[in-house]
Amino acid sequence: MDLQTLVSILESGAALGILYALMAFGLAIVWTTLGIFNFAHGAFIATGAYLAWQFGNAAGFGLGYWAGAILAVLAMFALGVVVQTLLVRPFERHRDIVLLTVITTLAGASIITNLLNVIWGPRMKQIEPALGGEVTVGLVHVRSQELVMVVVVAATLFAIGWFLLRTPLGRSMRAVAQNREAAQLMGLDVRLLYALTFGLAAAVAGLAGVFIGSIRFMSPTMGDDPLQKALVVVILGGVARFTSSIYAAFAVGIIEAFSTYFVGLYWTPAVLFGLMIAVLIIKPEGLFGRRQRSV
Amino acid sequence: MAAVLEARGLSKSFGGLQAVVDIDFSVAQGEVLGIAGPNGSGKSTLFNILTKVPFAADRGAVLLDGRPIQRLRAHEIARLGVARTFQRESVFPSLSAVDNVLLAAEGARRGNFAANLAAAEQALDLAGFPATLHNMVAGQLPVFLRKLVMIASALALQPRVLLLDEPASSLTPQEIERIRDLIAKLVGEGMTILLIEHVLPLLTAVSDRLMVLDHGTLIASGLPADVIANPAVIEAYLGRER
Ligand SMILES: Nc1ncnc2c1ncn2[C@@H]1O[C@H](COP(=O)(O)OP(=O)(O)O)[C@@H](O)[C@H]1O
Ligand SMILES: [Mg+2]
Repeated sequence: MDLQTLVSILESGAALGILYALMAFGLAIVWTTLGIFNFAHGAFIATGAYLAWQFGNAAGFGLGYWAGAILAVLAMFALGVVVQTLLVRPFERHRDIVLLTVITTLAGASIITNLLNVIWGPRMKQIEPALGGEVTVGLVHVRSQELVMVVVVAATLFAIGWFLLRTPLGRSMRAVAQNREAAQLMGLDVRLLYALTFGLAAAVAGLAGVFIGSIRFMSPTMGDDPLQKALVVVILGGVARFTSSIYAAFAVGIIEAFSTYFVGLYWTPAVLFGLMIAVLIIKPEGLFGRRQRSV
Repeated sequence: MAAVLEARGLSKSFGGLQAVVDIDFSVAQGEVLGIAGPNGSGKSTLFNILTKVPFAADRGAVLLDGRPIQRLRAHEIARLGVARTFQRESVFPSLSAVDNVLLAAEGARRGNFAANLAAAEQALDLAGFPATLHNMVAGQLPVFLRKLVMIASALALQPRVLLLDEPASSLTPQEIERIRDLIAKLVGEGMTILLIEHVLPLLTAVSDRLMVLDHGTLIASGLPADVIANPAVIEAYLGRER
């Protein structure tokens, strides 16, 4: 393998990684805050892509790439709030909330996927990228759209980190995630904060969908694979910190890029899941566990 | 004197277990009402159903300054001025001490950031929390300091009434002494307090009136000296416990 190949594998790994970080964030914050695993996350990714296509593309409302992306993200926030209200909140204080919401969010995912099929049809679509063409960064040629994605996603992750650490609302969201009952005693509206958290997760999933939809073809099930990857990231990284899933996302992205090169595309999921199982065996005490629940 | 907090016929059961049975009480402005009783007698459950954290009463009414609050949601009750500490020290572990208290100030008042921060720092000072440790992550503080963070958070709500659940539990004698001084200072500032304490000497020293629960029912109430001389209380404490 020459240097050129190595650099280009690392480059595509990093691009995947930053996208996985974005997708894993939503899963992780919902898990740490509401204590549930949202199986509709992949459907959120797909919906974000279709909404951005509808708002932005010439064949849709033709508002342009950025307006389409922003409107899609806002709409996804609202959809997240609705899904949380209908599918999660009714079971909030239930003893079996984890299991019940596995079922309700899976049902939600299936309904959303079918709706996407009905509304936009199964034919492949693609969002016209914000920037066409390629640019040369050091040794490698990258698609301009990938560069746009890396910049926007990095900025988004920084903004979310800043929001969680530095603003009263972000602080409240972290507090509710860490100690629901103490948060109520401090006058925090847990129900509202849960809905906002779920909405934020959906909005970020929608943004991930916008980027996936502009580098690959879209389909109603386009979120399934990202959901799996995000799950691997969250389990590998744990949820102890906002940053831990970001590191894990880059690790997964780079492992995936190498594995695709050496082992092939079809075996790459098996490699990743094998790795995940190994981590679960070596550190079973809860990379996903309650003891590490904090943000 | 008008009651700040009043309970009428409060009851709560868990399945077949009656944890709190038909409790009435009222506490006046500036008064300290001590609540005693053996372990498992329903003291913490009483605080739970007063604050609705984590659950509401099955029956009964709670009035704050004469206004019924049992229909409100938990965070609304907190914002109206019912502040409470947990028996086990309970903080936001990955937030700094001052951020813990800042949350309460923000939750209560929605002032600007500087005012809320000032209120948080003032509450920490009032609780006697060391000024040098404000930025320490709360989860890494020793038990006593975590208790102070919890009390400071309650104070930052600027409560009408402060509910303290065994503030002295799992502390050393010197630390208990400091808690006693803190309560005395709060009383001096006119704070209305409900104080649960299993350790009777601390309770009788600071309470204006005492009530004693046993199996969820009120078995005695009145002046501390009278209550601890009450045979039913002696029986509840000594008869079964050892
Ligand atoms: N969430 C709960 N579920 C079931 N039983 C409970 C719960 N909370 C308290 N209890 C029971 O209610 C009784 C009173 O408990 P508690 O109020 O904690 O007592 P105290 O604070 O006086 O020691 C105990 O028998 C306890 O086991
Ligand atoms: Mg108790």
